[in-house]
Amino acid sequence: MDNMKLAKEKVGDFLAKLGKERFRVPQETGGSSRFAPLNGESSVDFTLSNTTVPLKSLFYPQTETLYRYEVGETAMKAPGEADEMIIMGVRPCDAKALTIVDRLFSWDPKDPYYLGRREKATIIGLACQEPRVNCFCTSLGGGPASTEGLDILMTDLGESFLFQPLTEKGEKICQEAGDVLVKSEDSDVQAAEKVHKDAASKIVRKIDSEGIPEKLPQLWDSQIWKKTSEPCLGCGACTFLCPTCHCFDIQDEIEGLEGRRYRVWDSCMFKEYTLHTSGHNPRPTRRERTRNRINHKYSYFVDKFGVIACVGCGRCINLCPVNVDILNILSQVKEAL
Amino acid sequence: MSEQFEPNLVAFVCNWCTYAGADLAGTSRIQYPPNLSVIRVMCTGRINPLFVLNALQQGADGVLVSGCHPGDCHYMEGNYYARRRFTLMKDLLEYVGVDPKRFHMSWVSASEGAKWKEVVETTVNEAKEVGPFEQFQRNKINW
Amino acid sequence: MADLEKLRAVAKETVSRDDVKYLIGWRQGTYGFRVSPHFITEPEEADKLIFSPLCSNNLATYLTLVEKLPVPRGQEPDTRKIALMVKGCDSRAVVQQLVEQGIKRESVIIIGCPCQGVVDLAKVEEKFPAVLEQVEARWDDGKIVFKLSEGEKAVPREEVLADKCLRCRYPNPVTADTLLWEKVEAESNDEYADVGELEGKAPEERWSFWEAYFSSCIRCYSCRNVCPMCYCEDCILDRLNPTWVNRSNNISENTAFHLARAFHLAGRCIECGECERVCPVNIPLMKLNRKLTKEVREKFEYEPGTDPDSKPLQASYRPNDQENFIL
Repeated sequence: MDNMKLAKEKVGDFLAKLGKERFRVPQETGGSSRFAPLNGESSVDFTLSNTTVPLKSLFYPQTETLYRYEVGETAMKAPGEADEMIIMGVRPCDAKALTIVDRLFSWDPKDPYYLGRREKATIIGLACQEPRVNCFCTSLGGGPASTEGLDILMTDLGESFLFQPLTEKGEKICQEAGDVLVKSEDSDVQAAEKVHKDAASKIVRKIDSEGIPEKLPQLWDSQIWKKTSEPCLGCGACTFLCPTCHCFDIQDEIEGLEGRRYRVWDSCMFKEYTLHTSGHNPRPTRRERTRNRINHKYSYFVDKFGVIACVGCGRCINLCPVNVDILNILSQVKEAL
Repeated sequence: MSEQFEPNLVAFVCNWCTYAGADLAGTSRIQYPPNLSVIRVMCTGRINPLFVLNALQQGADGVLVSGCHPGDCHYMEGNYYARRRFTLMKDLLEYVGVDPKRFHMSWVSASEGAKWKEVVETTVNEAKEVGPFEQFQRNKINW
Repeated sequence: MADLEKLRAVAKETVSRDDVKYLIGWRQGTYGFRVSPHFITEPEEADKLIFSPLCSNNLATYLTLVEKLPVPRGQEPDTRKIALMVKGCDSRAVVQQLVEQGIKRESVIIIGCPCQGVVDLAKVEEKFPAVLEQVEARWDDGKIVFKLSEGEKAVPREEVLADKCLRCRYPNPVTADTLLWEKVEAESNDEYADVGELEGKAPEERWSFWEAYFSSCIRCYSCRNVCPMCYCEDCILDRLNPTWVNRSNNISENTAFHLARAFHLAGRCIECGECERVCPVNIPLMKLNRKLTKEVREKFEYEPGTDPDSKPLQASYRPNDQENFIL
């Protein structure tokens, strides 16, 4: 399908034509931003930088009911089907992260909750123009205009957005939008390519990930872990806000005669994450927990699924209150041995 | 609405004074509203302020904490500690926007059956005034 | 003021002592305006220590954050001291930990750094966005000077300092074994204007204010972990039996969590502002803590972390404490 163009003043029409209730867009609540349903407004603020809470929260919400039960009933009630979603304004790193998390949730057994939502979602990406200081997506096979995981790539051309449909789902959206979108010119595509190139050149922080997965197991007892984990507070900011972190805990909540089993995000940086019933903790200090976080992303996940579970979005660096910097750890890993 | 609304209230009372006072109200056949579920604890000093939060979460429309008059505590000083705690808890609840009419504290001694009736009436009437508590009730959110 | 040579010399001397396990100070972070806590065991590592307007971390946290592993049979526990660099606010945390007997006085060495205020990173990064190179900063007569690659930039302190520093009444360590340089003058009185502003609003407005923030909380527990006063070995938030606060993330549990956290700091919060600084979703937690600090000050004339010989607020009472709300 041809590339299309959406004039900025027609964004409202585009949303209305496709049905506002289907859209999920970046929104600010309190002091942070995340993807949320459109609330009444006809337009979207695409100038918001990468959301604080990553896109994963739409597919793999922090709290998710697995099933409900009632005293006296033998059957469990599964939650209803996922809603159809059109997610607009997704940064390429977040979309690429989904393709990584997909591998885990479609492993054995397949996760119906996550995959159900994935199937019903169309993702319209927005090419990054102003990468942040700590972005290092280009080091991990991504980039400010990476198309992995996207159905449509959108590029801001000043007066309008260029729509480049990438998948069948994306094409369907473009067809549904009808005459709200117009055909683009060759010059638009060239302009977009320039935007992509300029953005990529603004990414300064880099890491050569070559060799890290092989090297990590040999550094099990290295001093690196002690040194880099000393300032760590053991909070879950880095993992909860990581677009690829996917660990969860399963809990029950019982109210009177009814109950539900749900899963919630968990973090390997928490003490209770590995705590055994006996009181023994195989990862007793933050040193082991930090080591696990890096190893899981750059070694274990690679062994299992053949891909590094990090997309270089820089959130863990930006949001760490004590400057535990994953790039710094990785460069120490590179230097070691 | 407020006329039909019957609030669901929780009272944490101490074993030695208020519980005995409520008992006296009962044996004296004093009539008072039945909206209160009484939970007896040994001393107000044992009431964790989180009980109040938890009661509100679990569906209480208001909470009452009641114990011995200052100086009368069976354990000498439990109610003095409780007084400090709940002074602050009350301020905190009010500050985040929970109506102060939803939380009360009182001193009711074993001989004050009539006062117990008054306290319960005030608590129930004020809870009726402000209506059902919805701000952070669990209420099976997103089940 | 802020004599780095003296600071490093004292650190070297301290860390060389046989009875000192390690010293905690600050070092330049990996990029921009960031600073990281610096743990040193060897004298040569002291050369990286800094003290500047960027050193916002309250290091007193690390006294209680350390994991206590079981001592293997036949071995003696390590009783060496931990040396710690403190600003005025940090020292109050140490004092409060002493008051509560969370730490022992003989197990810490306090190196006091009188402080002219630290920056609020958000304010600085708004002024100088996207700075990757490591930036040094210093105080200079009412201004903060940043050493950027394009030259030095001086900014009036009011524009970049953290709010807590603009109303700081304890810039000098309350207690210290060594004071590194001369004391600085304290700010004026704190009127709790931020709390008063919110108190003046209608209850519904107050609730919608907090509701928006509480519902955006991701429960990463940064605020709890960074807090020098949150050091229960068995935190109610981690317990499952009884479950005080469910793990699920919704307005009910999040509100219960935040109120419980704030309440547990009633009469204990020393207003270092770390919880608010570390919050990844920018919840104004100090507005909550300071409400209680204000009430504690007004109703019980108590100020935590100022007197090592005082008793903890909630573990003491006066028979004539006010009780005008009691029926």
